[in-house]
Parts: sequence; structure tokens; C-alpha cells
Amino acid sequence: MSSITNIVDIDSELATQSPQEILRYALENFDNIAISFSGAEDVVLIDMAYKIRKDIQVFSLDTGRLHAQTYRFIEAVRNHYDIKIDLVMPEAAKVEKLVKEKGLFSFYQDDHKECCGVRKIAPLRKQLLTVDAWITGQRKDQSPGTRAAVPAMQDDKAFARPDDSLTKFNPLANWTSKQVWDYIRQNNVPYNELHDEGYVSIGCEPCTRPTGPGQHEREGRWWWEEATMKECGLHAVNISK
Amino acid sequence: MKITMVKKIFADGSPCKKCGEVEEKMRLAGQLERIDQTVVADESNPESEGMVLAAEHGIDRAPFFVVERDGEPTQIYTVYFKFVKEVLDAETSEEDEIAEIMNDVDLDFL
Repeated sequence: MSSITNIVDIDSELATQSPQEILRYALENFDNIAISFSGAEDVVLIDMAYKIRKDIQVFSLDTGRLHAQTYRFIEAVRNHYDIKIDLVMPEAAKVEKLVKEKGLFSFYQDDHKECCGVRKIAPLRKQLLTVDAWITGQRKDQSPGTRAAVPAMQDDKAFARPDDSLTKFNPLANWTSKQVWDYIRQNNVPYNELHDEGYVSIGCEPCTRPTGPGQHEREGRWWWEEATMKECGLHAVNISK
Repeated sequence: MKITMVKKIFADGSPCKKCGEVEEKMRLAGQLERIDQTVVADESNPESEGMVLAAEHGIDRAPFFVVERDGEPTQIYTVYFKFVKEVLDAETSEEDEIAEIMNDVDLDFL
């Protein structure tokens, strides 16, 4: 399961399957697997997974800066499915240090990376040390520039335990926003009330804004930062295997 | 053991910033001496050594490290701190590790 060759082969197979089939594969092959729930439209993952396995593990990163509507929504999802949702919080000392040194809105002057590092990445790393696989709501259409190649299944090297492997599933990779919303409507899935106020992508309150007609959803996140080319990607249009 | 570092040059000829940062970090830490060879992945030239290695191993980011040991499968490291810890047996700080992840991960889905 953990060899790269296997993962690439299985991903090729899963890439043509539906989100439900990808989820079924993930949940049937990993016992210790968790869904990362952002409090937005990725709630469809919970609905789909719950129909496959009732004892799903779900966690949300509670950065301390989410909208009140998002907290209410997370609670509504917990009650709707009668599941536990682990709220994963940042280390208080690190948040205190950041706020003491730079104030509550340093990300508008610097960029969002330092704050996200403290409030999202550090707690996420800690959480992912406890599982063998995780499931996200990443989709290709969320960021055509940097997420065009998001696979259905991948070897997550960044968050894996030392000398161990971590498998990441992105069952919605090939779905569009419209398909996600069609599923939500057709299945009466609860959703975050912020979506009715024009929010498409939802994150922390200071870093999220509604988007207007014709705007891409990414324009509602960290809009004050200039969109830059991802430095790490090999833009391999010419790579032939 | 043979270690190859692959760094990138953009199609317009400019160097990859992250590759430069990693190389400088390694130089300061005295780790560059452990690298047997450095090759370039030139985005404008699919035949460049680095692009060929990237295609061969299915790698879509840079820098990355190819670690070859006698009688063992070749290992590829795309995460610098993992490479440093697992191959060079060196320490890295949590801050540095998080900073590296931040460069590679879009966070809007979390």
C-alpha cells in the first residue's frame, strides 16, 4: 500500500471513479483515517462517508478566527450526523507570542503564512501524526494555477510521520463547484449560511470575503497578497515519461 | 550512497528562488559537501538532466534529491527537512519545517 508505485497505480485507477467510490476505497482500506472538514462545502465528504461508514473520524482546524457562522455550522453538522468532530486548536503559547509581537492582524502587513503556520499548519501536523491516512475536499477547480494536478490519492510526504508514510485522498479532485452544490441540494446536506451571503471559499474571518459575479473563489481569500507563481512546481509541459 | 540534488531554472532562464534558498541553507550548514552532484532541471529543455530525472521519477516540484544506495531502491525526497533528517541525520527546527510546508501547500481547503 505504501510504495510509491502502488500509490501511483491505484491513483490512476481511482482518478476515473466517483467521489463515493474513492471514499469507499479509502474507508475500506484504512481503519485509522480522518476527514479534514473546513466548515465549508466539503461537508459533502462527511455526508458521503457517513453513508459508507458510520464511525468516521472528522476533525476541523479551529484557528480561533473562524466566523461565528462557521462555528454554528460545525455544531449543526455534528448534530445532524450525530458524529464527533475533533476541533484541533493551535498551541496557546505560540498564538500568544505571535499576537504579543505582531498584533492581531499582522497578516495584512506581512502575509498570511506566519499566522497560518501557527494556527493551521502546526496543529494539522500534530493531528496527522495520529492517523495513517486523511481525506480532504481539495478540487482542481479551486485553484487552476496551482491545483490543476491534484490527484485522487497521493503519498503525503510533507505531513508523514518520520520514516513512515501518510496517504492523502482527495475524492472531490475532479468535481466542479457546481457538482458539489448539486449534491448538497439534491441530498439536503446542511451548509454554512455564509454561502448564502456570497462567500464561496471560507476560511478565517479576517482572511475571507464574499466574491462577486465572475470572480474566482480564490479571490475571496488573502486578496491583498499578489498572486505569484508557485516557486516549487516544475512546470513540466514538456516532460515526457 | 550517492546523492543528487536537482534544482530548477525557469523557462525564461531565471533561477528558482526556493532552490536557491535551500542551497544556501545547505551551504551554511555544511551539508552541500554531502551532495555528490547537482543537476539542473531546465524548464525550457525537457532533455536537461534534471527534467529527465523528474520525468523518470514522476516528480513535479523542485528542488528534489535522489538518493541511491547499493542494493536498495532509489529514494526521492521532495521535502528538504525530511531529506536532512532521514538522509543526513541532521536536526531541523519546527519553525523551518512549517515554513517549508507553507511554501508548498495551499491552505484554502483547510
